[in-house]
Amino acid sequence: MQSSISLENIQKDFPILQRTVREGKPLVYLDNASTTQKPIQVIDAITDYYTNHNANIHRAVYALAEEATAAYESTRDKVAKFLNIKNREEIIFVRGTTEGINLVAYSWGRKNISEGDIIVTTEYEHHSNIVPWQLLAKEKGAKIEYIGVDDNGELLLDQLDSYLETGKVKLVAFSQMSNVLGTITNTEEIINKCKKAGIKTLIDGAQSVPHMKVDLEKLDCDFFAFSAHKMLGPTGVGILWVRKDVLETMDPFHGGGDMIREVHKYETTWNDLPYKFEAGTPNIADVIGFAAAIDYLTAIGMDTIRNHEIDLTKYALEKMSKVKGIKIYGVKDILKRGGVISFNFHDVHPHDVATIVDRDGISIRSGHHCAQVLMERLEVAATNRASFYIYNTKHDVDKLIKSLEKVAELFKL
Amino acid sequence: MSDPIYTEIIIDEAKNAHNVGKLENPDISQHDANPMCGDTITLQMNVADNTISDIKWHGEGCTICKACTSVLTQMIKGKDLEYAKNLKKEEILSELGLEHLIKQSPVRIKCALLSLKTLKLGLYSYLAKKIENSSSFDGLKEEASKLY
Repeated sequence: MQSSISLENIQKDFPILQRTVREGKPLVYLDNASTTQKPIQVIDAITDYYTNHNANIHRAVYALAEEATAAYESTRDKVAKFLNIKNREEIIFVRGTTEGINLVAYSWGRKNISEGDIIVTTEYEHHSNIVPWQLLAKEKGAKIEYIGVDDNGELLLDQLDSYLETGKVKLVAFSQMSNVLGTITNTEEIINKCKKAGIKTLIDGAQSVPHMKVDLEKLDCDFFAFSAHKMLGPTGVGILWVRKDVLETMDPFHGGGDMIREVHKYETTWNDLPYKFEAGTPNIADVIGFAAAIDYLTAIGMDTIRNHEIDLTKYALEKMSKVKGIKIYGVKDILKRGGVISFNFHDVHPHDVATIVDRDGISIRSGHHCAQVLMERLEVAATNRASFYIYNTKHDVDKLIKSLEKVAELFKL
Repeated sequence: MSDPIYTEIIIDEAKNAHNVGKLENPDISQHDANPMCGDTITLQMNVADNTISDIKWHGEGCTICKACTSVLTQMIKGKDLEYAKNLKKEEILSELGLEHLIKQSPVRIKCALLSLKTLKLGLYSYLAKKIENSSSFDGLKEEASKLY
C-alpha cells in the first residue's frame, strides 16, 4: 500500500483514461455517480487473486484457502477502519447498496413492520430506497410517506416532524447524498429526531461514502449501505452495516452454505454474525479488489477528495451557468452539495444533449437516474448529469462546457 | 456545423411536430414508455372503414423520438389498418435519414422506434378486441414486444 497519493497526474493510475473513444477523442469520464473507473492497483489485486490465491473461503484447510480467507476477511477490517466501525461482525458483504437495502426490508422489515405502520423516505431517493419499502408495505399493509424536496433541492425536514408525531413511524430510510441533485442530507438532524422518538434509521451511503469522510460510530444510525463500484472498487460488492443489537434480532436473508452452524433434516441453527447473512460462495475476488480501492482512497485522504470536488464543482457551476439556455438544479451553497450537477436545456431532451457531447468523447448521464419520484417533483422526464471524481480536472470541465455550447448552437438556443 | 443525427430536418420536425394533441373518445388509445430513459408516449387514433381517419399523439421524448413520431403519424394518417400494421422501422427511419441508428446506436434506436412499438401495440389490441380472440391477442402482443 502506498503511504500517500497526490491528485497530481493521478490519471496515470487509471488505464481506461488512456484510451480514446468516438474516433480518437480522449475519454472524459463524467458519470461517476453511476460508477467510477478502476485504478491499476484494484485491477492488479483481482488478477493477483485469480493468478495466485484462488480457492473457496472459510472451510478448506489447505494453503490457498487460508490465503484467500485471510485476504477476504482483511477487507472487512479495512472497511471497519475506513468508516470507524467498532465491531467487524456488523459488516456484511452484499452485492451492492440495492441488495443491502433489500436485506434489511426482508430480514428486519418483515419481522418489525405491520399493518398501519409508516415507513418514511424522501423524494430524492434512488429507486433502490423506495421499491423495497413499497414491496414490504404492500405485503404488510403498511404505508410509505415522503419527506419533500424544496425548490432549492433540500429536504423539508419539518415534514418529518409531522410524520413522527403520528406515532406510527417504524423506520426512516434516506440517502446521505442525492444521486441527482448532489444535495448532502442533514443526516445528523434526522438521526437525532428519530433517536428521540425511538425510531430506526437506514442510510443509503452509495453517493456519500466515495466522496466524503463518513464516521459510523459518530452517526449512530441503525442501518447503512453502500457500493464498492462507486468508489474505485469492483462491481458486485457492497457493504451493509447493521448495529449489532439490531442485527442480532434479524432472521437470515438467504439460506444456504456458510450461513449455518448445523443442518439437520428438519431444523438448522445459524452461523455467527456476520456469516449468518452471507450465504453461498461470496464474490471473493471482488471483495479483495475492494480492499485495494479502500487503500487507494485512504492514501489520498477523504478530506483531500472532498476539497478537490468542492473546487471542481464550484468551477463547473460558474462556467456552466453561462451556457445559453441551460438550467442547473440543486442547492447553490457549494458546501451543501457533492460533485454532482444535474442540468437541462430549455426544450432539448437530455438524450440529445448526451449524444452530442458523447461525440466529443465526454460521458455524461441522461435520464431519470433511477429517481423518478424526484423527476416528478422537478416536473421533468429526465435530466443531464455530470458527476466528478478524483481523476477529473478543470480541463475536463472546459471540454464539457465547449461541447455544451455546441448543443446551444445546434438547437439555436 | 453538420451532425450525423441532428440535421435541420430532424430538429425542425421535432420542434414543429405534426399531429400533436389529444382525441376525444378515440377508437385506439395506447400508452407506452421507454423504461431506460423515462420517455413516454400516448398515441390515439380513430378508425373508420378500416382506415385511420384521425391520429394524435402526446408525450415526453427526445428530438429523435419526437421527429420519428411526427413522421409516423403523417405516414399512417388516412391509410388503411393493414398498411399501418405492416409499417416497417426502416421506412420511418429512412424518411429522416436515420437508418444508420440500427447498426450504430443500439440505445438511441429505441428512442426512434418507441412510437412504432406503441402503434403496433395499439393496433394489435384493437384488432384482437375486434376478433375477440384473447389467445391470438397474446401472440400479437408478444410479436409487438419483439419489435426492437
